[in-house]
Amino acid sequence: MVQCQANAENGRQPNDATLGYLLRIYNAKYHSNGSSPESLSDGDQADVLNIWKILTKKHKILDSTLCENLIAGLITTRRWREGLELLDMIKITRTPSIFAYTEFIVKAFSMKDSSLGWSLFEEMMETIDDSRQPNCKIFLTYLTEVSDGVQDITSGLEKMLQRLQKYELLISVKVIDSIKTLAAAYPNLLQATDCHINFKGKCSNCQLSLQAKTLSNVDFEKLRNSLLKKVVVGGDVFQKSSPTEVNDFLNFVDRTGPYDCVIDGLNVAYSKGKKKPQSLADMLVSVVKHFAEKNKHVLVLGRKHMNKWPKNSIQYVKDNASMFLADNLSQDDPFLLYAALKSGPKTDIFSRDLMRQHAYLLGSELKHIFRQWQQQHQYSLVTKTASGRILIKEPTRHLVCAHKIKSTWHIPYKMQYTLHSSDSFEIPEHWLCLNMKKI
Amino acid sequence: MLENEKEDLESFLSATNTDMKRETPAISPEERERRLKVLQLEAEVARQEGKRVPTLDSLKDHHWDQIIAMPSRSARMKLYSFLWKNAAIAESRKIKKQEKAAGAQERIEAIRKERAENPHIVYGLGNVSMFLRVYDATINHWMNHRLIRAMMFSPKIVLDCSYDNQMDRREAENAAKQLMLCFAENRAHDDPFDLHYCNVNLESACMKRLQSYIPTMLNPEFPMNIHSKCFTEIFPKDNIVYLTPDCQKDLETYNADDVYVIGAMVDKRHAEPLSLAKAKRLGLRVARLPLDRYLQWGSGSGKSLTLNQMVNILLDLKTTGDWVTSLKHVPRRKVIDSKERLASFYEKQKNRVNVRVDKIFDDDNAVFKPMNSVRSHKKYLKFNLSTWGSKK
Repeated sequence: MVQCQANAENGRQPNDATLGYLLRIYNAKYHSNGSSPESLSDGDQADVLNIWKILTKKHKILDSTLCENLIAGLITTRRWREGLELLDMIKITRTPSIFAYTEFIVKAFSMKDSSLGWSLFEEMMETIDDSRQPNCKIFLTYLTEVSDGVQDITSGLEKMLQRLQKYELLISVKVIDSIKTLAAAYPNLLQATDCHINFKGKCSNCQLSLQAKTLSNVDFEKLRNSLLKKVVVGGDVFQKSSPTEVNDFLNFVDRTGPYDCVIDGLNVAYSKGKKKPQSLADMLVSVVKHFAEKNKHVLVLGRKHMNKWPKNSIQYVKDNASMFLADNLSQDDPFLLYAALKSGPKTDIFSRDLMRQHAYLLGSELKHIFRQWQQQHQYSLVTKTASGRILIKEPTRHLVCAHKIKSTWHIPYKMQYTLHSSDSFEIPEHWLCLNMKKI
Repeated sequence: MLENEKEDLESFLSATNTDMKRETPAISPEERERRLKVLQLEAEVARQEGKRVPTLDSLKDHHWDQIIAMPSRSARMKLYSFLWKNAAIAESRKIKKQEKAAGAQERIEAIRKERAENPHIVYGLGNVSMFLRVYDATINHWMNHRLIRAMMFSPKIVLDCSYDNQMDRREAENAAKQLMLCFAENRAHDDPFDLHYCNVNLESACMKRLQSYIPTMLNPEFPMNIHSKCFTEIFPKDNIVYLTPDCQKDLETYNADDVYVIGAMVDKRHAEPLSLAKAKRLGLRVARLPLDRYLQWGSGSGKSLTLNQMVNILLDLKTTGDWVTSLKHVPRRKVIDSKERLASFYEKQKNRVNVRVDKIFDDDNAVFKPMNSVRSHKKYLKFNLSTWGSKK
């Protein structure tokens, strides 16, 4: 390339970083010319391979930046498969970036090697940061190959949708449009329509009910066993409570449990934002009443200063529910979670708290299970009307990722691609109802 | 299941995370050599790309020990950026010194000529003066003497240095600087405290840095009290009050018979109530400064105070007994109301040159964002190399 010749004429050899940037230029040229094996001229491809030879001869182990630049360059040539060992070289100092994986995956798909592409995709999803989302390019390239390809359209599409379900990915509207064009091209195999899911989990298009979320027994046990150690005690039990209080609470739960619902007293009381003890106590009383009328056994958690609230309200709560008051300096949320999980998989919790710090303390594997449990079981108080009736937000009981019921896939999507996934507190608004006909 | 849980819980409740040292996995010398080579290449390539990395010659062995132990690339890049900045500052100082030295000969000649022509005596400091020069050593001796007298008669303050495991290296070094300032500002005050550093682990990053600030720290004649024991073993528990921001009880009046304990940690990263947990575990009285009662806290900066600010507040509280004067040591930027702070910011901007003046004076409609100054070493580049092509 021109720059290289200029430097050689000056008598200086370009340094490693310059060679890296040169590879990036080739990569950009390759992509702007259509990302096919003929996008770069033979001279350019030979230059890329030459740079690869120079760098590998100079250093036995290359660092992560050079490796990524080399991957960007090798993708443009025919010998791209030999670049896969560069991924292992990057792993010495850091996890390979999404860019490196994406380039390989897209190249693998365009070279009709979908099994390599998907295995790299799964490796990427296992190793990168939890909240990051893969690029739309991967899915778009795959769908173009599926539509051009010789293989079975439906099974090819199945493979992609299964990965979406496994990693709970939310794809963007571009990919959905691509699926719709594929369905339009093969109307006897696929039928794709936009739809809405109502709060009960019913699809507006095909009238099927979405799959209910369930937590397996194994997962629930795992969550229950780690909660005490990781969240209630944490590293130092004094940071959240004290040993005597924890022991008292455990005895209390054994004596008065199991419960149908566990209420976070202070969270409920401060829902409307009033500060007078009378109005705070009233909020709590109305929630307890709601459950008492249904003959449910509830536990109310609070702090010792609640004893100073109006006596008749506190007496009503004590008569119609079990009440545990923690120290004024202790955190009550871990107790809430422990009591709910101890009472069994059907117990609900009543709080507006998102419980982010407790989710974090559980570790990445359990965090996911915890979030699922939380989405199924957390009721939150919306408001209390002037007439005294309380409005409650019920938990979503259906799955919010792409999944299949009989032969219909329901795929949620978002209008714009974002690098980080949301913490899944909102149910996706847009869904695609995809019917796969079996021939 | 229940009994099992309880037994596990008993043993778990008594252990603490704070006592465990952070263990670094041991690596073989060949592995270390290999990793070192890759990291050196990484640093060199980043420097060639134009990132803020110092030259490889300036990175010494102790730097590499720290770098190899770092968990991620971004941590390494931040350290390189810090070292580069230090090198750049030293470089610019050297240049300024050389420029100043260039005109030195002429200045000396000019003064000499003037003196030769002038027949009168020259009065002033450094020439003929009626004042005796008081050297720094004399002042230091006098201050040390006062400290030793304070050890006998003054109230005691404890700096609890047991938080090394909760701080990373940078925080520990900042804490060391604050500990040094505590000692210095206490010594310089009219009526010093008897300062005790307890739970000291001399191998920790914090104490090593403190020793580099005060090399004579461990000398027997130096008036600094270093204990490796806990303060509960030195002072009776009834007299101890742990000052922690996480409790709900304000400190009303200063009691000279009580021993106040301040946790020597820099904890801007965590939101955990570490000092409260420690005080609860030891069963000590707790209190916090009545910041909300006497100060209008502005938005933005958090309520964390440095160790030397704490010691200054307590010193003034002891001397005057008045919270308003002693809380003057809280930096004003934390206290000013946000509107006042914005106004003072605009004032500063008005004095700068490369700013659109019409938007400044129109205070009501100003949607003003501070402009980042162009990095001078990149001004000649046509495009931003550090973000093009690769991730910054």
